[in-house]
Amino acid sequence: MTTGIVFDIKGFALHDGPGIRTTVFLKGCPLRCLWCHNPEGLSPFPQLSVKQTACRHCGKCTVPCSHPDCQPFGRCLHICPSGCISVAGTAYTAEALAEKLYADRDVFAMSGGGVTFSGGEPLLQADFVCAVSGLLHREEIHTAMETCGYASPNVFRRTAEQMDFVIMDIKLADPVLHKQYTGADNGVILENFRWLASCGKPYEIRTPLIPGITDTEENLAAIRNIIGDSKWEKLPYNTLAGAKYGNFGMEYTLEK
Amino acid sequence: MINRTLYTFITEQKHHAWRRPSVPSRAAEYADAGMTPAQRMSARFCEMAAEEAKNPHILPGQKIVLMRTLPNGPDVLTPGEWEEIRKDHFIHESGYISNICPDHISLVKTGFKAARENADPLSAACLDAMSALCASYREEALRTGRVDVAEVLAKVPEYPAETFREALQFFRIVHYGLWLEGDYHNTVGRFDVYMMPWLRHDLDAGILTMTEAEELLEDFFLSFNIDSDMYTGIQQGDNGQSMMLGGRLPDGTNVWNELTEMCLKTSGELKLIDPKINLRVSKDTPLSVYEKGTELTKVGLGFPQYSNDDVVIPALVKLGYDPEDAANYTVAACWEFIIPKVGMEIANIGALSYPLCVDRAVRALEDSADLQDLKIAVAREIRTEAAAIMDKVHDVWFVPSPFLNLLYGGRNIADGAKYNNFGIHGTGISCGADSLAALEKYVFTEKRWTLSQVVAAMDNNFEGEDEMCAALRYEAPKCGRDDLADRYLVYLTEAFSCALAGRKNDRGGIWRAGTGSAMFYLWHAAALPASPDGRRKDEPFAANYSVSIFAKIENPVSVIRSLTKPDLAKVCNGGPLTLEFHDKIFAGEDAITKVASLVQYFIRSGGHQLQLNAVNRDRLLDAQANPEKYRQLIVRIWGWSAYFCELDKEFQDHVIRRQEDVI
Ligand code: SF4
Ligand code: SF4
Repeated sequence: MTTGIVFDIKGFALHDGPGIRTTVFLKGCPLRCLWCHNPEGLSPFPQLSVKQTACRHCGKCTVPCSHPDCQPFGRCLHICPSGCISVAGTAYTAEALAEKLYADRDVFAMSGGGVTFSGGEPLLQADFVCAVSGLLHREEIHTAMETCGYASPNVFRRTAEQMDFVIMDIKLADPVLHKQYTGADNGVILENFRWLASCGKPYEIRTPLIPGITDTEENLAAIRNIIGDSKWEKLPYNTLAGAKYGNFGMEYTLEK
Repeated sequence: MINRTLYTFITEQKHHAWRRPSVPSRAAEYADAGMTPAQRMSARFCEMAAEEAKNPHILPGQKIVLMRTLPNGPDVLTPGEWEEIRKDHFIHESGYISNICPDHISLVKTGFKAARENADPLSAACLDAMSALCASYREEALRTGRVDVAEVLAKVPEYPAETFREALQFFRIVHYGLWLEGDYHNTVGRFDVYMMPWLRHDLDAGILTMTEAEELLEDFFLSFNIDSDMYTGIQQGDNGQSMMLGGRLPDGTNVWNELTEMCLKTSGELKLIDPKINLRVSKDTPLSVYEKGTELTKVGLGFPQYSNDDVVIPALVKLGYDPEDAANYTVAACWEFIIPKVGMEIANIGALSYPLCVDRAVRALEDSADLQDLKIAVAREIRTEAAAIMDKVHDVWFVPSPFLNLLYGGRNIADGAKYNNFGIHGTGISCGADSLAALEKYVFTEKRWTLSQVVAAMDNNFEGEDEMCAALRYEAPKCGRDDLADRYLVYLTEAFSCALAGRKNDRGGIWRAGTGSAMFYLWHAAALPASPDGRRKDEPFAANYSVSIFAKIENPVSVIRSLTKPDLAKVCNGGPLTLEFHDKIFAGEDAITKVASLVQYFIRSGGHQLQLNAVNRDRLLDAQANPEKYRQLIVRIWGWSAYFCELDKEFQDHVIRRQEDVI
């Protein structure tokens, strides 16, 4: 049985591929983009979330409890009067996740939508993603993945082949800048892109427009050069990107 | 092309400069003279119309004329007389007739001249007064060189309207007359059905282009907004000027014509709160209709509101309406389904609180009770409460309305019409269903707490019971995401419907159960201690037909799936599921089509009524000041969603600022 760790499932996703979709956010990412707006997507392990905006610091959750599921976190998950505490990262078997996703199938059919695997980085859990996608296909549900493209070509191809649609990020064309802002070289990403562009699968390229980093004329021209006439969506910078960091005890390093 | 001069004149309220105090109160005089209420209404109408006739005002470039300078008239009965009346009668709201859909068009088709011949003297006096008022507008038009206006008023209201412009002007005169009389929540009904013949006539005769027709319609729509701040309502905007578009006709065909489209377009361009647009749809409605509706939703006015013919028409037939009347349904001021021309229904005469019934049931049981006992007790409490509500209503009495009577062929509508049914809202349904689901799970299945422990915790507002509260409030099954809770939605709606079935009111009508809440949900919640769904004392229920405010269900697909599980035909008095969206979601390729598909999904799933809101900046500012009203407001930003009220002020400001860029 394949299992995966999911940190969120959002229904009625309108911007993650064709039609009305449900987007599954898989935990863990090999990159560390400075502007990342999903801090809980980075680590592959379950993480405690304390909603900073609602926490009244009453201390009730710090009193030791005997619930087995609270033990790894050292805080009680079942007592907060304001509902501030939760764990990002739930383990699912492929079957259980697919079962959950079937629920919205009527609206997928009506709108030409389906399920999108996002993250984090879905390719870090490629086997799981492929297994779920296979189960969804059995029920004629359209699948897509949203990937940063940083994975071994083997894994990338095998997973992309399973999908009906691929959304891939190309953030920075320059390898040095890519390394500087995301922590990794983009060589393998570009190699994966070239395969994707030639494999005949419908796809779309995305670039987040980070002021002064990715939105420079130079970078955008270079990306255009690489991707040719591929469908390309440029996403405006989300000024609230840093909002969730505090909930996970993390720090947002990108200057505004 | 909108007449911007007229538009700004009205929206900047320049015409308010002509407002004057109303006519003096004559209730005591009337009483001394021994006048009947109907005589008083006619006298007040004539006096006010005569006053208005002294002050005709035609606004710059205005084609559809008539405006008020006087606020509503004073009461025609003295407080002492009301007290006497109340001893023997149930008085609904203010006691004046409201919230029905009269047959404006009957007069538009006959003209005042012919109508006068059959009218009783009190109604005829109203006609004379309106005629004189219109004559004064005609003189004003001639005086100011508005020959076009004078020409129209030379024909209407004395003679039947022949052209589109005449029909619109005539409608305005009749609608104005209703407000002047003191009738309120005056609805508009199936406008694209009854007004289309005149538009068709003009287009076919080649005397009007579509552009000219649009200009007339804009002018006409503006007329709903000239005096509306003076209209009776809980707050401004709550004036009942609901317009119904589209839908099935008694012959089974569907309406969708040039006027339907023109109304949607005009409403979106004017961006004014009146008239309020409702769309009747069904499983056969093409996606393109929903797309047009969604374009209007995107404007952020909170309409169109959709009603599903596939659910509503059979529901009304089952309730005893003749099929052709059921096919003609429209909505009252808010959402209750009513029948134009033949109904004198009181669609909001009371409200049943589901959580109150659950509370009583829980307290009536011993710890040894089982789940079945609880369910039986809840059904019993619903029956008892519904009976108490119905028993309070007897000998309903209204102040007669002689002018309004003209739109019902002269019958005294205050005494009733073909349909005299009464509607009861159902408040806090998700609170009730979630409470039962939580009790099933924790008390009866897991036996984690006993009933008396839960009741004791509720009485203590969960003080010192944080773990129980967190479990009930956040971890328990909830409507909108868990089938266990959804099953109680079905149970509660069935119980409510059964409690009213077979009962007659003393006007010969029946009782209808509904899914609306109006303001009752706040009052009912305030009157109840904490509830078994973890709701603390003084926290409100969710409004109308919707999921719990702390369940945090962000997927509208899931909400729709749950809330369409009950057989909504059984609770078809009216009351929408409301979904709120950040207007950001309407941006981007295909977004309109995707939202339209969601509406289609709701309709095809058997939903009865739906309202979508695109949240705009003003709303968010209001939410910032009054977060308690907007707990469920979702702002979806890029790849993630947030509860607006849970964002820091700094972030709220961010979102608000970003709103400025939204088209
Ligand atoms: S690839 Fe996406 S999830 Fe990974 S760090 Fe970058 S922005 Fe975050
Ligand atoms: S119980 Fe909730 S509110 Fe209290 S400190 Fe813990 S997280 Fe904060």
